This record gives sequence, C-alpha cells and structure tokens, in this order.
Amino acid sequence: MPDDILIEAKKLTMYFPITKGIIRQRKVAEVKAVDGVDFYVRRGETLGLVGESGCGKTTLGRCLTQLIRPSAGEVYFEGLNLCQLREDQLRSVRQGMQFIFQDPFDSLDPRMAAGEIVAEPLRVHTRIRGRALREKVAFLLRVVGLEPSMAERYPHEFSGGQRQRLGIARALSIRPKFIVCDEPLSALDVSIQAQIINLLEDLQAEFELTYLFIAHDLSVVRHISHRVAVMYLGKIVEIANRNDLYLSARHPYTVALLSAVPIPDPLVEASRERIILSGDPPSPIAIPSGCNFHPRCPLAIEACREMKPPLVEIAPGHMVACLVRGRTS
Amino acid sequence: MNTLLHVRNLKTYFNTEAGIVKAVDGVSYHLKEGETLGLVGESGCGKSVSALSILRLIPNPPGKIMDGEVIFEGRDLLKMSEDEIQEIRGNRIAMVFQEPMTSLNPVLTIGLQIGEVLELHRYLPREEAKEEVRRLLKMVGIPDAERRIDDYPHQFSGGMRQRVMIAMALSCNPKLLIADEPTTAVDVTIQAQLLEIIKELTARLGTAVILITHNLGVVARYVNRMAVMYAGRIVESGPAVTVYHHPRHPYTIGLLGSVPRLDQPRKERLIPIEGQPPNLLHLPPGCSFYPRCAHRFTRCAGERPELRNVGTEHLVACFADF
Repeated sequence: MPDDILIEAKKLTMYFPITKGIIRQRKVAEVKAVDGVDFYVRRGETLGLVGESGCGKTTLGRCLTQLIRPSAGEVYFEGLNLCQLREDQLRSVRQGMQFIFQDPFDSLDPRMAAGEIVAEPLRVHTRIRGRALREKVAFLLRVVGLEPSMAERYPHEFSGGQRQRLGIARALSIRPKFIVCDEPLSALDVSIQAQIINLLEDLQAEFELTYLFIAHDLSVVRHISHRVAVMYLGKIVEIANRNDLYLSARHPYTVALLSAVPIPDPLVEASRERIILSGDPPSPIAIPSGCNFHPRCPLAIEACREMKPPLVEIAPGHMVACLVRGRTS
Repeated sequence: MNTLLHVRNLKTYFNTEAGIVKAVDGVSYHLKEGETLGLVGESGCGKSVSALSILRLIPNPPGKIMDGEVIFEGRDLLKMSEDEIQEIRGNRIAMVFQEPMTSLNPVLTIGLQIGEVLELHRYLPREEAKEEVRRLLKMVGIPDAERRIDDYPHQFSGGMRQRVMIAMALSCNPKLLIADEPTTAVDVTIQAQLLEIIKELTARLGTAVILITHNLGVVARYVNRMAVMYAGRIVESGPAVTVYHHPRHPYTIGLLGSVPRLDQPRKERLIPIEGQPPNLLHLPPGCSFYPRCAHRFTRCAGERPELRNVGTEHLVACFADF
C-alpha cells in the first residue's frame, strides 16, 4: 500500500438483517446498506461522499470508523486491518478517528457544560487533568472560534452554528488524523454554513487532518473536497478528482444529480437543460437485478438488467461503474 | 394583471415565557394573479409565520396577529368570520407543507383523504369524487394511480406523498397556492421533480404561488419576484433577476456571496456572513442586521431603515447606497 493512503476500504459490506417473530427471530430479508465498496482516502485530503438519503453513506462512514462492525470486508487504517481487531484493541486506534455529526442538537449532552463536552475525550483517552486540561479546553474553544469563557455554558445557550463548532472542538481534542464529517452543515442556516466550511478548511491545514465529508449538497462538496465519490443504493458508482467529476461526469446518475442542483441565478437557470430523473430511489431491501440504477436510468440497455457493472478506471483516478459510459475514452 | 393578494404591515407576535417574539414585524407585499413570489430567508426569519398568518393558521395563544391587512380578491381575510375564512382555506387558497407525512392522516387511504376535500369544498358526490381523485393523482404523475388510490400514506415514498399533497392542494383550483418549504424534506432529484410539477400545474391552472424556501437556487428557477426576509421583516424585494444580479441589501449580498456555485469555477475561499443569526427576543434597536453587517455605520445602530424604492419594483431597507 502506498504510504500516502491513510485509510482504505476493501469490499466493505454492511447488511442489516430484518427479522420477524418475537421469541424465535428469523431473518426474512436484508438491508444492503453498503454493498462491497472499495475506496481509499489519502493523508491530508478530503474525500467527499455524496448520494441521496438511504444510499448508505452514513452507514459507510460508521463502518469505516468501526462504530458499527461491518458484516464483511476490510478497513485498513495506517496499514492496520481494523475489522480483525477486538473492541479493546480498537480503543487506541479510535483516538485517531473522530466523528462530526449532522445534528448539533442531538449529539451534545444537554446536561454537560461546553467545557465538559470538549474535555470528555481527553479524560477518556489521555492523562491530562486539572489546570492543563482547562487550558487545553480553552485553547480548543479558541481554535474553533468560541470564547474560552463559554466553557461554563450549556448546549441550549448556543446557536446551531456555535453548537457545531463545539462538536468540532470535541472531535479535535485528542488530535485525530481522520475525521468523518457526516452532513455537518445540513442543520445549519445558509449564512452559517460558509463559516463552518471555512473553519473545517483552516483546521485541515493547521492540524493536517484527513476528512471523509458526507453530504448531499453537491455545490458544497465540490468546494471542500479534493476527490468525490458518488454513492447509489449501497454502491459507489463514480469516484474522481473534484474537477474531473464536475466537468466530465460519466455515470448517468452523477450527471442527473449535478443537473438537479439549482443554480442561484435566474438567467443561468432559464437557459439550463435539466435532466429530471423519473421515479424514486428503490428500497435497499429490494435491490434491482443488474445495475442498481437501471430502473431510473435514461441510458439503460438490455445488459444493464442482468449485469452488475464493475467499477472501472476510465482515466487516471476516475472510476465509473456503468456498462454504457464506463469505457475508457 | 390584477393584484390578487395584498399584505400590508402584517404583524404577528408570539407571547413566550421569555418575552414577546416579534416573528413577523410589519411585512408588506403583493402578488398578481398567476404570479410566483419567492419568500426567502433563514430559519426563524418569519417567512412561514407570515404565510400562515394569511390563512389565520397561527395558534392563539401563544401567537397573535397584532396588526395589518391581508386583502385577497378585495376582501380583508383578517376581518372575516371563522366561517368565512374556512371557505377560503383549501378552496381559494391552498397550502403545501414541508413534511407530507405529518400533514396526511396515516389511517385514511389516499383516495379518501383527497375525496374528502372534494366532497367538502366542491360538493361532489362520492362516486364522482373518486373519479376526480384518479384524475388528480394522474395529473401529479403518480404511476399506477388506479391501484394506489386505495393505499395508505406509509405505502408512499416521501416524494410521492408530496405529490399527493400537491394534488390535494390543487384539487379545488385555488387562486393561490402557498408552498412552505415543499422540497426541504426530499432529495435533490425528487426536489427537481416536485418543483417542475408545481410550476407546470400552476401555470396551466393560472394559480399564483408563494414559494417559501431557504434555498436560493430554488427561488432562482421558479419565481418571478422575490422577497428576502430577516428577523421578521422584508429587507429586500424585487424581480428575481434584479435581486440576484444587483442585490442592494448587505444581507442579500452576503447570502448570495456565501454559497458555493456549481456553474462557476471553485472559489479558493467562501466569504461568510459573520456572527450569529439574530435572537428575536433581543433585537437591536436599529437595523436588525446591524451586528453582522459589513457596511454598517452609526446611524444603523439607532434607527431602523424602512423599505425604499431603488429601481423598478426594487425595494431595499438599508441606509447605505452601493
């Protein structure tokens, strides 16, 4: 494995069983949330992960950090296969990986003061205590743009954007290398989103962080990511450098997704052709045969009904899983 | 074209334990027949409350419409009796809400729910109503409408439920449709489907639309005119093209500047609006945007700017001239 890869997933799979029965539970079906996904994230880079709700992007982030143990596949973090580690062995590895959650209202304990929230990971993972701990907390609060005096306040006294800053300070406290940002902006107001984006970028430069940035807003993902992966029903359908993906998207789903993003300019919108996908994303319980996307795909051919397209490299670093458009040009 | 709706100096306050929240504090706008108006702003700016106030759907207590006029087809909705306004609701003015699951009754089939509207408002006999429901479901593009008429809301996906809401809202050929964040709970590809349906159907039926949203992109594609709200007041309004290309209020300028755009080269750095959204309990005495404004001067701290004309139908509530 080349040195610059920090974390890599190989055939990562997460099926959740659906059971029936009260006393004797039997498995009647499976939710294929993540279905054999391969990708890597380089050191210091941001990989954007986009897809619609229910496509498995959050589950993917959680499997990667072993918050849920994947049902199959491997995750290598700095060369170590996390899926083979026991819970107690994972503990030390977890210091290197943190999570920033979507909802800054649900992910902070309402009965803990801000300072306590930020200090908690330090108490768990380090021996820093007393004055050193208070100083460290004050430093972290300043880093994310809050006043150290706010350490005494409780979460309800903060606005949404400030709460998200608090969540970021908590994630940073034990100096992780890798942070999964799971829709960190979707609960925030438009005018606050740019503040948090800038903060995440500054912190990445300052602390040499690597991000997996999960989001559904493609314009934000383009701004913050170096590479972008597009997910549909548990599979990665396209992955490429930021510019390659936005300028020469190949997969019909990526193309439709990009075209569905409204541009804040009436004149641009008036002259813009839009691809409106028909239908809804199918349920991950009843995944279609062949290509997962074929029932909604405007380009589907007969073969798409039968064959699952593999992820193929069509240009350096640009991978596409499509029978029609996944050929080297 | 005739003016369909004229809202004048609308004030809706909420009495809370912590004090009076002036959710809508002197809002005025108008809407012509068949026109689409975008009401844009962040959470808590009063855009939803101002729309709910039109139909007097504000729970009282704690809310109360304190002042203002809502002239719809020549009559003031705020002065009507409860029976009279009930005749307007769902009939002349319909609403589509953000969360279709909470606005649909989970124990009634889709057919019965839409049918009920038709029986109540259009006095259709049951059999005819059923026929009409089929037509409406087809109109909003629900596949296999014949069979799905007997399904329950939980058997529909989020996007399909919102289609049902749109069908229900348009079932009485309203003159005005108020769509309150109709696509916030759905994915982008579904958002595009729903907005196209709303646009196409309201154009065909000649229905005017108030589209409430926080998404600047949505407004750009679907509205003729727009009003930007901040802390309970309109800070800028005008034709969409004017507001997007020549924004005059520092808040609008900041908002447009802070979102990354897919159609432009990536910016190295975003320019955010500094500070926090306003606390409606403790608004500054002057301009509400003063604490976050990049162009503020002393006058703004003590005096509140009123909307003034700066171009054709272009109004701005700001002392500064850019």
